[in-house]
Amino acid sequence: MIEVKHIFKKYEDTYVLNDVSAQFEQGKCNLIIGRSGSGKTVLLKSIVGLIDLDEGEIWYGNHLFSHMESRARQEIRQEMGMLFQGGALFDSLSVEENVMFPLNMLTGQSFREKLERVNFCLDRVRVSHSNRLYPSELSGGMRKRVAIARAIVLNPKYLFCDEPNSGLDPETGMVIDRLIKELTDEFQMTTIVNTHDMNSVLEIGDKVVYIHDGCKCWEGTREEVLHTDNKDLNNFVFATRLAKQIKG
Amino acid sequence: MRLFTQIGAYLLLMRRTFTRPEKHTVLYTQVMREIEKVGINSIVIVLVISIFVGAVITIQTNYNIENPLLPRYLIGVTVRDSLLLEFSSTMVALLLAGKVGSSIASELGMMRVTEQIDALEVMGVNPASLLILPKIIAAMFFFPILCLLSIGMGLLGGYLTCLLADVIPPSDYIYGIQYAFYPHYITYAMTKTVVYALIITSVSSFLGYYVEGGAVEVGKSSTRAVVHSCVLIILANLVLTETLLQ
Repeated sequence: MIEVKHIFKKYEDTYVLNDVSAQFEQGKCNLIIGRSGSGKTVLLKSIVGLIDLDEGEIWYGNHLFSHMESRARQEIRQEMGMLFQGGALFDSLSVEENVMFPLNMLTGQSFREKLERVNFCLDRVRVSHSNRLYPSELSGGMRKRVAIARAIVLNPKYLFCDEPNSGLDPETGMVIDRLIKELTDEFQMTTIVNTHDMNSVLEIGDKVVYIHDGCKCWEGTREEVLHTDNKDLNNFVFATRLAKQIKG
Repeated sequence: MRLFTQIGAYLLLMRRTFTRPEKHTVLYTQVMREIEKVGINSIVIVLVISIFVGAVITIQTNYNIENPLLPRYLIGVTVRDSLLLEFSSTMVALLLAGKVGSSIASELGMMRVTEQIDALEVMGVNPASLLILPKIIAAMFFFPILCLLSIGMGLLGGYLTCLLADVIPPSDYIYGIQYAFYPHYITYAMTKTVVYALIITSVSSFLGYYVEGGAVEVGKSSTRAVVHSCVLIILANLVLTETLLQ
């Protein structure tokens, strides 16, 4: 489980995170939702330690991650996998080399063992027979899948996804969402997904945290999202005229 | 104040860069790749420029030394010393700052804006050590080789000019380039080149590593890498010349 407690982050005079606390449970898809610029990405990057907090605590199980030395942090980071918005695949490496990269850096496995694991992960995300291709030769959806394969290659306990279906058509986005959900259930990971896509919320959101102007405004399940009386959340969820009409 | 902040950030990045690498085999592979990128790919441009500069120095020196009391072999002496003391170390370093420095800053800048550096960080890999250290090692190893090649080609350029343009007899030129030779000049040139290699790679890496924004900022960082490297090379040249040629 990951827990954030009373975290604050300020840029110049503006608070982008203002006293945010939440728990993200193991074996579930925890979604952080909110409008663009609401502080979702800052929250996610703070959780993985890419952004230093001004105040507050981040716990990974019993470990106080936010107050750790960088060496100690590295041990926990080796249990993390992260899918970035654009995939963040290494341009100079092929698909196989990209997925093998964490194994090369952090394990002492033989090449054969590493290749087996790479092929398993690529099969798992349904990107077989593309080992020799380079990121520039892949479609947006394939890039995301390869990035997921790289994120899970070390069998992580924690999976973080920053807008996993941004830039994808709704159908491909849904495929990626379902894949994240399947992997979370299969490997019992603590998964945190940043999104503003309501399809994702309704498809995979075991737990949903709504962020508005840097504050946590609401949390609940995907079923509760549709029946809440939180005004900001309702405006976000039922943003289109059609959705408002359906809600009545 | 901003200058001190920048110097502090640079030193902190260098501290992260010069930490023990996660895997020595990976470091070795990366160094080999970088030797190709920063060194081998620069050989042709260095050789072409050096041969023409050697030729031009020969012609200009001949033009300026028309006094019959001065021996003709002095042209060879001047060409050799110009190449050894200044051109093949400092001028080649300025050339490499343009070619290699901008390429390093753009590469790291693009990795930063496309979140590849963040991806490394999240994996628990030290990005500075993985990406910057091999560039510094490769440049400090290969730039002195480029400097030696440049000296050789510059001298050859001068010789060919004597042979083909009938500036002075080639035998006088050959005598001149051997006359009153101080081996210390080679040490001086090599020392300067190693320092320049460190400046070009570390400063360009620093400017690329901390890029924020998009393609425009990457372009700006690339330009700044060249400008900052050139200014620091000139400053280091002054300090090293004062220190090593006493």
